[in-house]
Amino acid sequence: MSAVIKTTTPFVIEPVLFEALEAVGAEPQRVSSEVLRSISQRNQIQADDILTNRSDYNGRQLFRQQGERWVLLHDSDEHFGSVVSQLSDRRYTPVSRFLSELCLGYEAAYQQHLDELEEQERIRLEEARKARVERTRQQAIARAKSQGYSVKEGRTSTGQVQLVLTRTV
Amino acid sequence: MPEQKIIITIDDEGGITAKTTGFKGESCLQAFDELLELEGVVSNVKKTDEYHQQQVVKQGRVQEVKRT
Repeated sequence: MSAVIKTTTPFVIEPVLFEALEAVGAEPQRVSSEVLRSISQRNQIQADDILTNRSDYNGRQLFRQQGERWVLLHDSDEHFGSVVSQLSDRRYTPVSRFLSELCLGYEAAYQQHLDELEEQERIRLEEARKARVERTRQQAIARAKSQGYSVKEGRTSTGQVQLVLTRTV
Repeated sequence: MPEQKIIITIDDEGGITAKTTGFKGESCLQAFDELLELEGVVSNVKKTDEYHQQQVVKQGRVQEVKRT
C-alpha cells in the first residue's frame, strides 16, 4: 500500500492566520478571560486560543499555538459537525476541505503581510533619508554660524537644500 | 573687504556638493574641512579656472562630497 500525504501550510503568523480565518468565513474569536468563563466544552479552551465558528462533538473547533505553529484542535471523527454562526449561509465542511481552503486564504494573507512589511520598510528608509539630510543641514548651518558665516537657505530647482554662506575677511 | 562665499548643496541622500569663491589657494579646502566633516568622505575634487589663477585676488574650488 502506498499513500501520498500533504501537510497544511504551517500557520505561524497569528495575524495572518486570523485574517485567513476571516476570509474563509470561520469568524475567528480570540479567547479572552471573559470568553474562558462563558464557554464550557469537552475540548478545553485556553486563553489566547482562537475559536472558530465550527463545532463538533468536542465543542468549538479552535486553533492553539503549539511551538511556533497554530494547530486546529477538533474531533477526529467530526461527529455533530456544525457551524455556530448568525449568518445563515454558513455550512459545515469537512476539516480536510476547510484546511485546504484556509491554506489558500493564509497564503494570500501572507503575501499581503509581506507587502505591508515591504511598505513599512520603505517608509522607514525614507524617514531615515530625510533625517540624514536634516542632520547634515543643521550641522552645516551650526558650524557655519560658529565660524562667522551668514547663512542664507534656499532650494535648488530640483528641490535640494542649498545653503549660501558668506563672510568678509 | 573681500568676501568669502561657500555654496553648499545637500542632495536627497545627504551628500554634499560645495563650491567656494573668494578664497586664496589651499585655504578653500581648509574652509571645507573646518565647516564639514570631510575626512575620508570626499569622492571628487574639481579645481575651477579660478583656482589656477596664481594671483591673490580670488581662488576657488568645487568640491563634491559624498557622505558615508
